[in-house]
Amino acid sequence: MTHYDWGSGAIVKPEEPKKKKNVQIIPAQTDLKRKAVNFIKGFDINLSPEQLEELEQVVQRSSETFVRDIGKDLMECRKLVINALRDKPKRPEAITAANDLAYSVKALGGTFQYPLMTQIAKSMEIFVADRTTANEKQLLVIQLHIDSLYVILAGRVTGFGSTVEQATVAALTKLTERYAEPRE
Amino acid sequence: MNAKIDFSKISFLIVDGDKISAQVVYDTLAYLGASHIQRVKSPNNAFDVLRTEKIDIVICEWRLRGMDGLEFLDVMRNSTNSPNRFIPVIMLTAHSEMRYVTTARDLGITEFLAKPFNAKALYSRLVSVIARPRRFINTGTYFGPDRRRRQVQFDGPDRRSLDE
Repeated sequence: MTHYDWGSGAIVKPEEPKKKKNVQIIPAQTDLKRKAVNFIKGFDINLSPEQLEELEQVVQRSSETFVRDIGKDLMECRKLVINALRDKPKRPEAITAANDLAYSVKALGGTFQYPLMTQIAKSMEIFVADRTTANEKQLLVIQLHIDSLYVILAGRVTGFGSTVEQATVAALTKLTERYAEPRE
Repeated sequence: MNAKIDFSKISFLIVDGDKISAQVVYDTLAYLGASHIQRVKSPNNAFDVLRTEKIDIVICEWRLRGMDGLEFLDVMRNSTNSPNRFIPVIMLTAHSEMRYVTTARDLGITEFLAKPFNAKALYSRLVSVIARPRRFINTGTYFGPDRRRRQVQFDGPDRRSLDE
């Protein structure tokens, strides 16, 4: 409460209550750093270009597995899509498979030097996103994506390809835009 | 003399339903010298491992069957049942658009690695988690590593020091 101080003759205002912090800051946990960072054993924090190259080769060891497994997945998904063209109740299953396949290829294509596959898979993923089924034309668009991915994989087209491949990606993207609706 | 990281001292848990992706991460860690690497396909299995074993770093895919990687992260950071609220989590995902990155960041991700990734990117996330640990921030709406990585000049109110 504000009061008059008889000694000094001043009006004294009470101290404002201290504002408390609304954030708790917890110091960094340094256990990992203490037990793993040293100057004797292990890998340099800043790897040399040669060491990075060796590490990249470790990643590329799985490249053949990628080609084999994704090739198999592409063929299986293509079968599901073709069956779904004839048989309406099978369409949700085909869409789920196409969605999973698109995500896997998008995620891993670029890692194994197939960025073109990542591009096409991304187009396919956007096209199948939030769908539970598809009409015939939409299934054909999915099939075209699968066929393109298979051709790239079978031909081992690494990198972004030539103008022909880029034109194919552009054409597929246009197709997805044209047949995007209805989305159900 | 250069500082080094001895990966044999660190235990890892890979949570990824994709066989190839999990294998790539496993191979990379094994090459770096890590000897304790667990692989599981789902968050439920991950919780089982985290409750029974000492795991130092979790490397988790966003897209998982059942509970997704984001829900897994949410439970890890915010649930009273969490096996370890402070564990570093590296999120691997092909969802690389900005909205996904910010969502993961705001749920307390330690590092985010967009797929397709290369060895250099994975290594840099590991180094960051091990050699440059960040303090944790606990507010009413956020629990996780400090999201302010860069110290920049800011003229507005300091929300961390005063009540609003």
